[in-house]
Amino acid sequence: MEFLTQLIVAGLMSGAVYGLMAVGIILVYKSSGIFNFAHTAIVVMGAFVFWALITQLHLPFWLAVVLLLIWSLILGFLIQRLALRPLIGQPILAAIMATLALAEILNGIVTLIWPGLGRVYQPAFMPTGVIRAGNLVTISINQLASFVVCLVAFGIFTYFFQRTRIGLAMRATAEDQQLARSFGIKVERVLAISWVIAIITAAIGGILTACLYGVNPIVSEVAIYAFPAVIFGGLESITGGVIGGLALGVLQNIGAGYLDPFVGGGLKELAPYIILLLVLIFKPYGLFGYERIERI
Amino acid sequence: MRPCGTFDEDYRHDMAIIRTRFQWIMLGLLLVTLLAIFPYFLSDYVLSTINVIFITIIVVLGLNILTGYTGQISIGQAAFVGVGAYASAVLSTRLGLPFWICLPFAILVAALIGLIFGLPSLKLKGFYLAMSTLAAQYVIPWIIIHTPSITFGINGCPAASPRLGDLVINSEREWYYLLLIFVTVGIFFAKNIARTKPGRAFVAIRDNDLAAEIMGINIFGYKILSFIICSAYAGLAGSLLAHYQGMVVAEQFSLMSSIWYLGMVIVGGMGSIVGTIFGVVVIRGLRELVMITTPMLTTIFPVLKESLGAAMTSIGFGLVVLLFLIFEPRGLAHRWELLKNSMRIWPMPY
Repeated sequence: MEFLTQLIVAGLMSGAVYGLMAVGIILVYKSSGIFNFAHTAIVVMGAFVFWALITQLHLPFWLAVVLLLIWSLILGFLIQRLALRPLIGQPILAAIMATLALAEILNGIVTLIWPGLGRVYQPAFMPTGVIRAGNLVTISINQLASFVVCLVAFGIFTYFFQRTRIGLAMRATAEDQQLARSFGIKVERVLAISWVIAIITAAIGGILTACLYGVNPIVSEVAIYAFPAVIFGGLESITGGVIGGLALGVLQNIGAGYLDPFVGGGLKELAPYIILLLVLIFKPYGLFGYERIERI
Repeated sequence: MRPCGTFDEDYRHDMAIIRTRFQWIMLGLLLVTLLAIFPYFLSDYVLSTINVIFITIIVVLGLNILTGYTGQISIGQAAFVGVGAYASAVLSTRLGLPFWICLPFAILVAALIGLIFGLPSLKLKGFYLAMSTLAAQYVIPWIIIHTPSITFGINGCPAASPRLGDLVINSEREWYYLLLIFVTVGIFFAKNIARTKPGRAFVAIRDNDLAAEIMGINIFGYKILSFIICSAYAGLAGSLLAHYQGMVVAEQFSLMSSIWYLGMVIVGGMGSIVGTIFGVVVIRGLRELVMITTPMLTTIFPVLKESLGAAMTSIGFGLVVLLFLIFEPRGLAHRWELLKNSMRIWPMPY
């Protein structure tokens, strides 16, 4: 029993981070119809930028957060303006390839500025230690904190989309760009904002992952799990992304926990892709996605 | 467009790839250059670069048939190359079979795996399909690494050099000739697939799959066929790569190489065989250029770090692909057509 609860809790902890990164991808997809393969690179870059601000420049926490926000604004604006706006109306391969090329550029920039292998990341703002709940689970406070951060972020996003004006504008744009435009919503601005928010979620996800694994290429391997999470939850639903992330984390941990002895370990890296393939074969549009019906 | 005075008098002439005397002369010159001048006047380093380019051309030809002609996006081509490479290397090392048996077997295995990962294309298209090939990109290397009893796991699998009678093909020049044969056959085959019934079906599926289905094209069958051809090319290239290097490791077949292959298709021009060659040569050339210039840069500006080369290749590749997508989405093949047309009427403006 303890084994199972332990696996489920650990799955929820890591799944929340996948969910957070998935939300960023879904947000961009909903507003602009582009599936952002560069998300993993942005996650890594966000982790590195924040690490550099805190550890290399010794800035206080709040200033680093402000600078990270400014970085997201600039990057979001640049991506939207230089790379993706010229590609409106091009076939889907162009958009996919553009984000892949973008990912290569961002990876290159990260390698250029912070060469070599990973760095240990032991930020002062992350509490350490372990708590035990009865004899059911043992959680490191580090992971619990990142789980809480994700939940808070989900809460803020939900509030943002349901209650604020710009959130409403974003939902309207996602529904129908032409109609939104005719109601006086500045679609370009909405697209730029959705990119910026996506980059912020990526950065938070990257920082949380980096707290667990250090700032290194492993962060990007974890970030890729956001893709299966997105497909699992469905492309069109933000709630779907969150649930997809959590479910993926749980399934990944349970699968790896129970099946590892039979295959000789390492199933944890593989499980998300097996789940991805199964979802694609049996329920391609995910739990909450819209099924595409084609008519002539 | 065809120069004046070229008349097609029968069907055979109309369908010929090479139709004018000038084209025959150019082909002859090209053959002389490739067969006699390149292997004897270039250094081993340049020859090895050309050999890698040859192998890459075979990979990208397959990908261009799948992505450029059929319009199915695959970001898992490197994994299929890995399947071919490991199939060939394992047979060669574990069973001691000669290269000439390993090679067709590798093609078969890769085609089969390609067929399996092409199956989701029954229901999916666009980037959902890209997702399933992304899964292939992670599942296949994982399986290779985690079955060390067959594949030697992370240590990499050795592969013996091919033999032709008493001749062991292991120098760069011998490999050059061998690869040249395979590349020529590969190009010829790809060029002709594009001109046959399946080729036209591929293009129809790419342009509008609903319309294609209404015209009576068996979409699923042709999509699967396209996947099979694509991964068969990957398998051929993989087998050649394994025996050329003498050793394969699973890390070679990363997501990044798959992205590079796709970038070559974009830069060269989707749905063009000549474009494939241009794309591979340009992107590989860019990489060589960066690799040559970065040591100089680091000596001039010692602030720059040693990982500059890797960083600059990534950035350069990304920028080139992005610029091509924005400014010349039809790729170098289109520019080549424009150039040929303007040369044909040169020096007159009309």
